[in-house]
Amino acid sequence: MSSDRTAGRLSRILALIPYVLAKDGAKVSEIIERFDYTEEDLTRDLNTVFFCGLPGYTPGDLMEAYIDGDEVIIDAADYFAKAPRLTPMEALGLMAAGMAIIGSGQGSPDLKTAVDKLTKALLPDAGSAIDVDVSGDSENLSILKSAAADQQVIRIRYRSMGRETETVREIEPWAVVSTLGNWYVQAFCRLVGGERVFRVDRIRDLEVLDERFQRPEAPTEPEIAYTPSEEDVVARIRLETSARWVLDYYPVDVVKETKTGTEIRFSSPDAEIPARLLLRLGGQARLLDGEEVRARVTAIAGALRERYTTGRET
Amino acid sequence: MQNVVERVINLLIYLLESPEPASAADIRHTVAGYGQESDEAFHRMFERDKDLLKRLGVPLEMKALDTWEIDFGYTVDPTKYALPDPGLTEPERVALSVAARMVRLGGANAGLGGLLKLGGVERGTGIEPLGADLGAEASVLGDLFLAVTERRKVDFTYAGVSRTVEPYGMAHRRGHWYLVGRTGAGERVFRVDRITDLEVGRDADVFQRPKRFQVKKAMSTNPWEAGSDEVVTASVRFDEGLAWWAARTLDVEPPRTGPMEVELTVANWDAFIGWILGFGSDAEVLAPPELRDAVLDRVEAAVSGLS
Repeated sequence: MSSDRTAGRLSRILALIPYVLAKDGAKVSEIIERFDYTEEDLTRDLNTVFFCGLPGYTPGDLMEAYIDGDEVIIDAADYFAKAPRLTPMEALGLMAAGMAIIGSGQGSPDLKTAVDKLTKALLPDAGSAIDVDVSGDSENLSILKSAAADQQVIRIRYRSMGRETETVREIEPWAVVSTLGNWYVQAFCRLVGGERVFRVDRIRDLEVLDERFQRPEAPTEPEIAYTPSEEDVVARIRLETSARWVLDYYPVDVVKETKTGTEIRFSSPDAEIPARLLLRLGGQARLLDGEEVRARVTAIAGALRERYTTGRET
Repeated sequence: MQNVVERVINLLIYLLESPEPASAADIRHTVAGYGQESDEAFHRMFERDKDLLKRLGVPLEMKALDTWEIDFGYTVDPTKYALPDPGLTEPERVALSVAARMVRLGGANAGLGGLLKLGGVERGTGIEPLGADLGAEASVLGDLFLAVTERRKVDFTYAGVSRTVEPYGMAHRRGHWYLVGRTGAGERVFRVDRITDLEVGRDADVFQRPKRFQVKKAMSTNPWEAGSDEVVTASVRFDEGLAWWAARTLDVEPPRTGPMEVELTVANWDAFIGWILGFGSDAEVLAPPELRDAVLDRVEAAVSGLS
């Protein structure tokens, strides 16, 4: 942990020196803002720089670094005329962040040119070796984002995660977030009278209402993971090794692992979700326990059998 | 920490300025901060300092000091050290900074530290009510990116098999990072979180990316489009209740009312049937008949798994 702090401090110093050198001095207030310094930390770092330089370490060998009135002065530091190159994670992070925001339809023209310039500088031989796609319905995302910013109430027609039914509800959107490949809106839901997270792609229609709300001072981090409730349908399922991907995509608990498979517990507010999963998996899963789910699979299978054996209705 | 910061800056200056690679003994006697330590303490300190430099993005290299390659020294090439200036304008930096604050990668804000190296931005942008988490294990991702940018080969284990890959590019799709690269058997896509025992090759520039390589093209949009099965055109009907949902997934215009019928190219039957059955009994494959039979087979297999 302390080595993280040391690395962060060094990285900032090595970025600060070339900036001040290039401008031949800079305002203290500007440096504090630009490099996210407190005045105390800036003074301490300049004092450190002041004691560094070439071997010999006589006053003539050391860098000059000090605050003169409202200006930061750094001199005799030609070897640090350029900032160190970006680490792979810094470079990928900046490119990916830019691409993610552009991909979600929220990028400004400045962001697009910034990402182009970064890509050219970092990957001169291949313009399109990196790609980030978090695209959702950018029109709905834009509406939700501005509603969250302007604190406007929205009415949504929503298809719940667990229940295969639609509800119409009024929500107070706090934030729009993308995680694990889906976009979510974190909001106060007036229908249930509490905080809820809605998947943006499951919002069928939305309408911005002419009503404002007051966002809480510090909204909590959105709870994306599914929290099982006591009324949930529970099924115990054994997955074959080839179906282990289910663990990455569904909120399940692993009961036990064996050489030939994985036993999971699947909680859901509605039997429909585990039932459809079992249909998808075909022979790669076995239902060990869960009467409601068993009945649901049988019912859907019956309906499908009828559709597929009687041919197409017109 | 005060001592470490001073010592590492002095070390970096010495390595940047020395015309010849410097041996560890030379560094110990010349650079301020190492002198008074015992052998063991010096080596421990020096190892830690080298790690710190690498973490900062400093390209520390080891070079032989003689033709017999008995003694080695350390050096930092000033041209490799320097950040190539991408020539960002202030509004471009601000836009990047806003994006970096909105996006998380490997559990941290994406590349904010890098933004300082590019000159930082003046504060003042408020909280954006939009954010994205791109997940991912930071160390693997950083190593792969390095290999992609410097055209180094990588070795890793994937689904129990050892592989040597020329990494062409990386893409983020549906919550996961993927690596696209060339193996002995041609171009392949790997999911990054399933890569283990990753080793990045020591030499840079050992392969050429195909001209006009586009990672986008290598990543097919839908899972059923990539596969080695017989390619068929499937015609599918989605019932009224879920037609809008299917339209959204397929990125097509949903019907105003009523069901939706579409034609899709399928190269991976297994993935396609799985996706269709995710709609329960609200979707039906209309043609071809072989695909209809395959759907029904899967349903029967699922039913027999109920007991």
